[in-house]
Amino acid sequence: MANIGWKSMKGIPLVVTLIWIAVSAAALHFMEKSVIAFLGILFSIILIYYTNTDKRVRLILGAAVLLLIIPLVAGDNRYYMEVASQVGIYVAMALGLNIVVGFAGLLDLGYVAFFAAGAYAYAIFSTSQANEFIPGGLFPLSGDWFWPFLIVGLIVAAIFGILLGLPVLRVKGDYLAIVTLGFGEIIRIIFNNLDKPINITNGPQGITPIPSPELFGVKMGTPFYFYFIVLFVIIFIVIANIRFEHSRLGRAWVAVREDELAAQSMGISLLNTKLAAFATGASFAGVVGVIFAAKQTFIDPTSFTLMESIGILVMVILGGSGSIPGVILGAAFVTVLQVQLLKEFSNFLHSLQQSGVINLPNQLDPSKFQRLIFGIMLILVALYRPNGLIPARRKKNDLEAIKGSKYAGGKLGILSKLTQGKQS
Amino acid sequence: MALLEANGLTKRFGGLVANQDVTVKIEQGTITAVIGPNGAGKTTFFNMVTGFYEPDEGDVLLNGKSIKGLRPDQIAERGITRTFQNIRLFKEMTALENVMVGTHSRLSAGILGIMFNTKRVREEEERAKVEAYQLMEYVGIAHVANEAAGSLPYGLQRRLEIARALATNPQIILLDEPAAGMNPRETVEMTEFIRKLKHELGLTIILIEHDMKLVMGLSEYIHVLDYGRKIAEGTPEQIRNNPNVIEAYLGKSATEVS
Amino acid sequence: MLLNILPQVLVDGLTLGFMYAVVALGYTMVYGILEFINFAHGEIFMVGAFVGTEVLLISDSLGALEGMNPYVAFFLTLVIAMALTGGLGVLIERVAYRPLRGAPRLVPLISAIGVSFLLQDLVRFTEAIARNEFYLNTPALFSGSISLGIASIPTKGFIVIVLAIVMMIALTLFINKTKWGIAMRAVAQDQSTASLMTINVDKVIMLTFLIGSSLGGATGVLFSQNYGTIDPYIGFILGLKAFTAAVLGGIGNLRGAMVGGVLLGLLESLSGAYMGPLTNGAFGAEYKDVFAFSILILVLLFKPEGLFGEAVKEKV
Repeated sequence: MANIGWKSMKGIPLVVTLIWIAVSAAALHFMEKSVIAFLGILFSIILIYYTNTDKRVRLILGAAVLLLIIPLVAGDNRYYMEVASQVGIYVAMALGLNIVVGFAGLLDLGYVAFFAAGAYAYAIFSTSQANEFIPGGLFPLSGDWFWPFLIVGLIVAAIFGILLGLPVLRVKGDYLAIVTLGFGEIIRIIFNNLDKPINITNGPQGITPIPSPELFGVKMGTPFYFYFIVLFVIIFIVIANIRFEHSRLGRAWVAVREDELAAQSMGISLLNTKLAAFATGASFAGVVGVIFAAKQTFIDPTSFTLMESIGILVMVILGGSGSIPGVILGAAFVTVLQVQLLKEFSNFLHSLQQSGVINLPNQLDPSKFQRLIFGIMLILVALYRPNGLIPARRKKNDLEAIKGSKYAGGKLGILSKLTQGKQS
Repeated sequence: MALLEANGLTKRFGGLVANQDVTVKIEQGTITAVIGPNGAGKTTFFNMVTGFYEPDEGDVLLNGKSIKGLRPDQIAERGITRTFQNIRLFKEMTALENVMVGTHSRLSAGILGIMFNTKRVREEEERAKVEAYQLMEYVGIAHVANEAAGSLPYGLQRRLEIARALATNPQIILLDEPAAGMNPRETVEMTEFIRKLKHELGLTIILIEHDMKLVMGLSEYIHVLDYGRKIAEGTPEQIRNNPNVIEAYLGKSATEVS
Repeated sequence: MLLNILPQVLVDGLTLGFMYAVVALGYTMVYGILEFINFAHGEIFMVGAFVGTEVLLISDSLGALEGMNPYVAFFLTLVIAMALTGGLGVLIERVAYRPLRGAPRLVPLISAIGVSFLLQDLVRFTEAIARNEFYLNTPALFSGSISLGIASIPTKGFIVIVLAIVMMIALTLFINKTKWGIAMRAVAQDQSTASLMTINVDKVIMLTFLIGSSLGGATGVLFSQNYGTIDPYIGFILGLKAFTAAVLGGIGNLRGAMVGGVLLGLLESLSGAYMGPLTNGAFGAEYKDVFAFSILILVLLFKPEGLFGEAVKEKV
């Protein structure tokens, strides 16, 4: 769609971007609860991405918007910070799934299980729940433990990923989708029923109160703090994604995605490579799960249904499978649509109903139209834009740098035999 | 001792016997051809040597050690690599990246190393790039290093596939119909190129090919399969005059052999 | 005491199993021809259940069911549901799958997942407008039960089993004896050769969706009669289990799908009834879905070709 136009324009002039940022920042500051203003500031990130200027300038601009402008103009507005941290949580999840689906081409429909693993890891040990099966009354832990638990959540989810992956990833192609779907459901059912014989998850009642993060005695329970925590995690995940994309592992993932047989004949172990993708994607979801649990202060198995997995999949596919900017865009778009636009539309219809203009059955509340919208999006993207809104592109290498490399002097690999041959 | 020995390889698919008791010995630094009519089981033989099929009977020895039952990636690591009849490149990656994939098992970067972008990972990556680029120069396609592999013309894709195979630093390379679909001029170039691989890199080459001019001109030793069995082996001269071989090809393309 | 309920558990398992079997046929037929998991097939089944229920509800409100022979009413319902779901299947193929033939494998699968969710909400939407309610109770046509001595089988359950068997026999005859059935087998074996033999591949694929979907829709009607309540989400889990049955029997294999379905129904019924008592209540009937999925995973791991399928190696 639009990115073709931008390509021919060589990007957006810097002035336009700066004006846009100023206007939407002002709107954000002066309007109490406006989806439009929020979308405006989000859109400025996309503008920056396509702005015709040096990469470093764009980075600084983006950082300024996210770290300074949004917190400064909307930091005292609970509503905006709440929406922003929700968007952040989904962006982080989608970036994790992008490694599995986008890079390695493994259609995982049970991704939310890893998110659940992280969330439950923190929830169980930070509340008195853990006393149910660990004697000694050591629990609950204080909110200071949130920070080490980011790592614990990561490790727990990664272990989950490996344990699930070991059997699941031997299954070929399309079957993987069904099997991961099945496993996702199995995990949810287990969490739902593991209040007996030993009460580990407290079953359908869920776990509460999960403590907010604490740092040097400051309780960080408001959306304002979560905004920064999530942002910090996203930056970490984006950097990891970028590094993976053009690494030994990233190439192996794409190779396996494109042609398993050829990949094997290049010495790539299918199982190890897929496991690495699964574990990496899972670990990111685990970290986000810890944040989610702390933010919600209450979790139960209903937060980890198949619809969550599908929602994150829609974000990845819509934005552009394998494309980091695409996935961020997709996640932001779908989250705002889901948590804001539909809700606003619902409220609007309700107000119409109250004034007697229309009669709306409760079932038709637009905020319940998740499945319909996800379904239509998946079909339309598959039919008309299978590579997503911002398709992934492989980076071109700087050939001059390669020729000038300190290694370019001698022949490497099998070609080293050339020079040996000539000497003898 | 032969570099590669296939002893009594047998492979069945349901009722069909694709290979029956095939025994082949390959000496270091030679060019060997495996020929036979369509459906004779040549590709099945390749698949057993490279680990894509596990033989029902028989054994494959590399340097005297059995590699039977190993996965294709493990066999690739031990120095046997291949190209495919119907070129199988990673189409969305650039040509250079395709070749870099070949260096995979000689690199060591893991999840943490990549995430923290350690010095070792950066240097290893740079070396791999240089090596891949040198290989592309060697096969004469460095000018398309940054093109998407799937967008290259057919002849260049063949060369790219060989460059990618060379990047695994193999002892043995199996070429499945390297000149298929090429015009006579390209076929001559390919013949020269394969000879160069042997002389300059000391590679041992096994190839499947239907173009008899290429086979007879290039190979030092030939194995002939028919209906899954080996019916003859010998030098090109011996094969040319072997009555069994002529019979196998009669009614099909006897003129090509004689 | 545990043994006392066994005959009843087996009867319930058989009823369920035959429904899995017929739905599994739809998965296996499409997979056999296109090597594609038609994710939306479970939803076709669900639509069948709703069409059948609506036909009965509407006729009932018009008074048309009064005095009508229940078997005739059932037959008419079945025909209408099969026609509509068959048409729906063809429509879905035409709109959401056919344009994607030849696209990377994940793409049609994603489209199918989309269709699946779209159908769930469309049905909910329609029923919410029409009835302000999307959990429907199906008017029961059959009451009473047939006694088999140690167990009794409700008439409706008996009809499920009989009709399922009739449909399977009809399908087997169709595939083996008719021109179009043979064309279907030819396309399943080798699409390009079949098209060289002047078989219209597009038509055969359409026909596959028509038959598979109408069988799925018919099963929906059977389901609604047997269990009495339906909602837009019944297709998802049942579809997944039917798919498991297809895999268990060897995907692409019709006989395998039938056996796999019955087997899975029995296993599920047995585990639902006995897992609780056998583990002292630690793992009860709430784990029966876990049990079914575990079977799927175990089969895919250790015998991916299923009980009746032939091992197929990917062409190199």
